Amino acid sequence: MSASVPTEIYESGDSALRVVALSSASEDNWLTVHRLADWLEDCGAEGLHGAVPTYDSVLVEFDPVLVSARQVRAFVKLGLLEIGSLAGEASAPREFDVPVVYGGIYGPDLERVAEYQGITTEEVIRLHTEKTYTVRCLGAPAGSPMMDGPAFPQPVPRLKDPRLSVPAGAVSVAGRQAVIAPAVAPGGWCVLGQTPLTVLNIRREPLVPYKPGDILRFRQIDAADFDKYVGQELEPRP
Amino acid sequence: MSGKILIQQSGNSVVTDLGRTRGPRFGLPVNGALDQYSARAANILAGNLDNEPLIEVTALDFRMKAESDILIAVTGAPLTLTVGGRPSSQWEPISVRAGETISIRAINRGLRAYLAVHGSFEVPTLLGSCAPDTVVGFGLQLREGTELVTRRSVVPVRQPYFDLPLFRLGIERPDMGPQLLVDVTDGPDVEDFGESGELLFTSEYAVSGRSNHIGLRLGGQLPERTSSGEVLSRGVPVGAVEVPSREELLVLHRGRGVTAGYPVLAVVTSMGLDVLAQARPGDKVRFRKTTVGEATAAHRRSRAQLETLRESVNTVFGLLGIGCRPQWQDLTVAACS
Repeated sequence: MSASVPTEIYESGDSALRVVALSSASEDNWLTVHRLADWLEDCGAEGLHGAVPTYDSVLVEFDPVLVSARQVRAFVKLGLLEIGSLAGEASAPREFDVPVVYGGIYGPDLERVAEYQGITTEEVIRLHTEKTYTVRCLGAPAGSPMMDGPAFPQPVPRLKDPRLSVPAGAVSVAGRQAVIAPAVAPGGWCVLGQTPLTVLNIRREPLVPYKPGDILRFRQIDAADFDKYVGQELEPRP
Repeated sequence: MSGKILIQQSGNSVVTDLGRTRGPRFGLPVNGALDQYSARAANILAGNLDNEPLIEVTALDFRMKAESDILIAVTGAPLTLTVGGRPSSQWEPISVRAGETISIRAINRGLRAYLAVHGSFEVPTLLGSCAPDTVVGFGLQLREGTELVTRRSVVPVRQPYFDLPLFRLGIERPDMGPQLLVDVTDGPDVEDFGESGELLFTSEYAVSGRSNHIGLRLGGQLPERTSSGEVLSRGVPVGAVEVPSREELLVLHRGRGVTAGYPVLAVVTSMGLDVLAQARPGDKVRFRKTTVGEATAAHRRSRAQLETLRESVNTVFGLLGIGCRPQWQDLTVAACS
C-alpha cells in the first residue's frame, strides 16, 4: 500500500469522528481504515473508546470529557502518518470452512434469488460456494462478518418486508455483499442457507472467531447432516 | 460486610452501567444507561463510582426489599418513592433498614429512573460491562424473586427528629417533557439533504410509541435525501439522525446497530441523548443546532457539577463513616466550620 491514500475527517457529533479514505482503489481504502483502527486500538490513548472500521471509513469514538474532538483529529492524523510508513502486509489471514445447508427451510430466499438473477438454484449455490470471501469488517448485529458478495449477474435487492427474526447461522446476501448471522435478529437480506455451526460465543473473547482480513469459504452439505454439526463452533482451519 | 436485596415487582428493569465502550469494535452496541447523567448522579449519591452497576427502571412500577441495611439513591424521571411506607425524596441518599420495601410508582414526565445501592452489585460482565445486550442474549433482566448481592452493607443512618431527610446536597435535576429541546450538530452527510435539512430545525416532531433503547422514531416534516445510490455500510455514532423511510425520522440511541448504510443528517449531543432517554411516546421534540465545541463545553460544565456533588457526598459520608471508618477525629477545624 502506498503512503498516500487521501483521507477526509468529518465531525460526527461530540463523541465521534468519521475518517473516510478516498483512494480510487477500494482495497487501499480498506487497508487504510483497518490499519488506522488497529493503530488506534494498540496505542490505548486515554479517552479513546475505540474504532469501528468498515469498507472505506472508520468511526472513532471518544469520551468528550477526557479528550476533545480537535485532539482526536490530530491524533488520527498522526496515526495516518504512522501507518503510511509501515512496510509489508498485515499478518497472514486465517481460513474458515463454513458448512451450509442451502434452500428449503434453511434458505427460504434461494429460489427468489435464482429467479431474479435468471439462473438456476444450483447455479446460485455454485457461485456462492466457489468464491473465497475476505471478512471486510464486523457489522451489526453481533459482529456479523461483512464480505463482498458472490459474482451474481445483478446486485441482490433486499426484502421488501424485512423478517422480524432470522435464525443464528443464516447465510445471506444483499446488494453486492454476503454475511453470516451470528445471532438471531431481524433482517432484510436474502437468506440462501444456514450453517449448523455456532458462530457467536459470549463466554469467549473475542465473541466471534474471525476478524477483518480473515478468509471464509462456504461448502454445501445435505440437510440430513445438519444435526451432526450442531453444537460445534466455527473455528479456523489448523 | 455484603448486603442483599430481593426484587418483589420487577416491572421493566435491568441491571446496567454506563455501557460497553469496547463493544462497537466487535460489532456490539455500547448500550448501558440511556440517561447517563441520572445514572452517574445516582451512583455518586450512593457513594459509588460513576460506572458501577445500578438498576434502570423503565416506565413501569418497581418494588424491592432490603434484606440487610443498605443505602440507596433514586434519580431520573419524577416518580412516587416510598421506603418502608414513608414518602422519600429522589436525588438524595436514603438509608434503608433491613426488611423495608423500596417502592417506585407512577414514573411521570420522563420514562426512566435509576436506583443505585451503596456498594453496587456483583453481576456478570461482557467486554467489561454488565449492560444488557438483547441481540447477543447477555444481561440480567430482573424478575420477581431475583436476589442481588451488594458489595457492602451500611448501618442505618437516620435523622433522629421527625424522620427528616438527612441529606440536602443540592443537585441540578434535568428538565423533562412533554416539550423537549434537543441539541444536535451537523452530521457528516448533511450535504446529502440539501436545503431540506433545515426542516429539522423548523419543525416539531412527535415521539412514536415504537421507540426504544435502539432508537427513537419521530413523526413530523421530514428532510429528504437529494443524493441517490447505495451508501457503503459505515460505523454510525450514537445520536445519529437518519431518514430511513418516508414516515419517520430515526434517532439512534445507545442500543443502535454499530454499522448502517443510511446518510447521517445530524448527530444528537451527549446531553441531548439524556433528554431523549426520558422522552415518552407523544412528547414533542424540537431540535436546536449547536457546534461540537459548544456541546463539549456544556457537557463538561455538567460533569464538573457532578464532580462537585461527589466532593459533597464524600465529605458527608466521611463524617458519617459510610463506606469507611468514622473520621470525626481526623476532621480539621476548617471542615467543621
